[in-house]
Amino acid sequence: MAVDFVDVDVRPTLRGGGEPFGEIMAAVNALAPGQGLRLLATFKPVPLFHVLGSKGFSHEAREIGEGDWEVLFSPADTAPESAEAPAPQPADTSAWPAPARAMDNRDLDPPEPMVRILAATEQMQAGEVLEALLCREPMFLLPELAKRGHAWRGAFEPDGTTYKILVRIDSAKEAAA
Amino acid sequence: MTGVTLSRWTMSYFALAVLCLLGAESLMTLGFGYPATDVGAPETLVLVHLVALGWLSLLMCGALFQFVPVLVARPIHSNGLALPTLTCLAAGLALLLFGFLQLAGGAGPAWSLLPWGGGLLALGFALALWNLGCTLWAARPLALPARFVTAGLACLAATALLGFTFTLVFGGVSDAQPLVALTAQGLPLHVVAGFGGWLTFTAMGVSYRLLAMFMLAPELDGASTRWAFRLGVAALAVAIICGTLLVWLGAGPGWMLLTGGLLGLAALGLYGRDIVQLYKRRKRRVIELNSRMASVALANLAAVALLGIALVGTGTLGAQSGALLFLVAFGWLSGLGLAKLYKIVAFLTWLECYGPVLGKVDAPRVQDLVVEPRAVRFFMLFHAAMWVSTLALLAGAPLLFRAGAAGMLLATGAIAAELVRIRRLADVRGAVRLPEGAHQPRLLVSMVRQG
Repeated sequence: MAVDFVDVDVRPTLRGGGEPFGEIMAAVNALAPGQGLRLLATFKPVPLFHVLGSKGFSHEAREIGEGDWEVLFSPADTAPESAEAPAPQPADTSAWPAPARAMDNRDLDPPEPMVRILAATEQMQAGEVLEALLCREPMFLLPELAKRGHAWRGAFEPDGTTYKILVRIDSAKEAAA
Repeated sequence: MTGVTLSRWTMSYFALAVLCLLGAESLMTLGFGYPATDVGAPETLVLVHLVALGWLSLLMCGALFQFVPVLVARPIHSNGLALPTLTCLAAGLALLLFGFLQLAGGAGPAWSLLPWGGGLLALGFALALWNLGCTLWAARPLALPARFVTAGLACLAATALLGFTFTLVFGGVSDAQPLVALTAQGLPLHVVAGFGGWLTFTAMGVSYRLLAMFMLAPELDGASTRWAFRLGVAALAVAIICGTLLVWLGAGPGWMLLTGGLLGLAALGLYGRDIVQLYKRRKRRVIELNSRMASVALANLAAVALLGIALVGTGTLGAQSGALLFLVAFGWLSGLGLAKLYKIVAFLTWLECYGPVLGKVDAPRVQDLVVEPRAVRFFMLFHAAMWVSTLALLAGAPLLFRAGAAGMLLATGAIAAELVRIRRLADVRGAVRLPEGAHQPRLLVSMVRQG
């Protein structure tokens, strides 16, 4: 079953310094049963994945150039078909499991948040997801995650001060272990 | 978004910078240049440029190659340009200093080395500006700290162009009227653009972010920070651009410098208010040595403003400009530079050595690489000796000035030894020092691991 997507482009709002959350939620609430949402944003809207996930939507995100992102939110009952229908996506854009561990590192001295995140990734199982809250973008952590084969998704929360990162443990770890 | 890797040559910039500081302090201790000679004498020019280019500008460039990417959350435009840039700057500085000694009647070839030194320095700074400029350009729109840095880089361009102009005229390459007029009257513009714009304004921008980061304080981007930026840019534009135009129209830049000075004071006032807020609103109650010593440097910046007002008010700015500049260069910029260097070297060394093994084996904390109770004495000695030297300059006591300079030399030497110990992991005890998989960092080069 092909999903009918309603387009919402919040890039002008974001570039104007505005907060598009209300706009997005209004569009979601106006969807007819079975309809999905095609969102265009200037960053990967990780917090929305959870908000809409709790409303029964799965998502597929892909970068469309110049830092912009397209996210397809599909009603959950159509998700299995829609996940197979489109062109193959990189593994990174598949739906991730709910976080197996969560940590709030916002009040820790740098580089303690990085130390704790890397320590946790070493203890977790392949494919599991770690969620961590930080008070800034962890610029020195990201190359280390990449080097260890972990995938990550991160963005500032709508409050603009908390940075949430999700780390999915390298699936190759299982083979190595 | 790929994060930020280590800048391979940043430690080389830092090492050469500290050597230049030690060299300048040695010369002052020996009574070379001001106050033993005139403030505009070639010997003083050697000293000033050893400090402004060799120490402060190399320190700033090395730090910016590592931290502009952190400021804007983008990788640096080119890692490969850092070494050619350093080579041009170091060679240009050496030729410039020998060129000044030629002016003083020293030995050397009959033709002037100044234009060659000025040209190489201009090329080196052009490379740095291109590299950092492309990095910033790709990251628009910029947050406030990065905008301060951008304005500081624009002032670096102005400083380098003015300096290159002077070397062309002094070296006998050009006698074009606009360049000669700038050389005759433009020295205050060169000083304001260099110390006020490039070094101070950039340091202000970086300090907003680094202090917030190290003390767990909220990032400031409110009205007072925005106005500090606007007023500061206005001050620099009025002084440098309008000052240059006045010189070309045949008048002196005096009024424009005064107007710029007043705007600059307002900007500094707002900056001071912001910084007090950062210290007050920090979540981390016990702060590290680098943040404590940065607060001393910031207090010295306030002293710069007060001394400047007092000198202008009493009509003695002309006679005492050397003392004021000394306080800017050593009390404020060197004080902040040494404090941040102590933290940055430890952090980058820790990241280089232990980053790859974090979580896999027991590794030391960043603070295990330093011994703050030992280092604090050297920082206190530096600041005490710096104030002795400043007061000696104001009071016209050259011998006391040299004694103060000797104290600064001693303190800087001891801090430099601490930095080498950090790099060598000399104070990390036990089995955690080099766990399996960790490699001893090299002194001057960071090993860049490809992710």
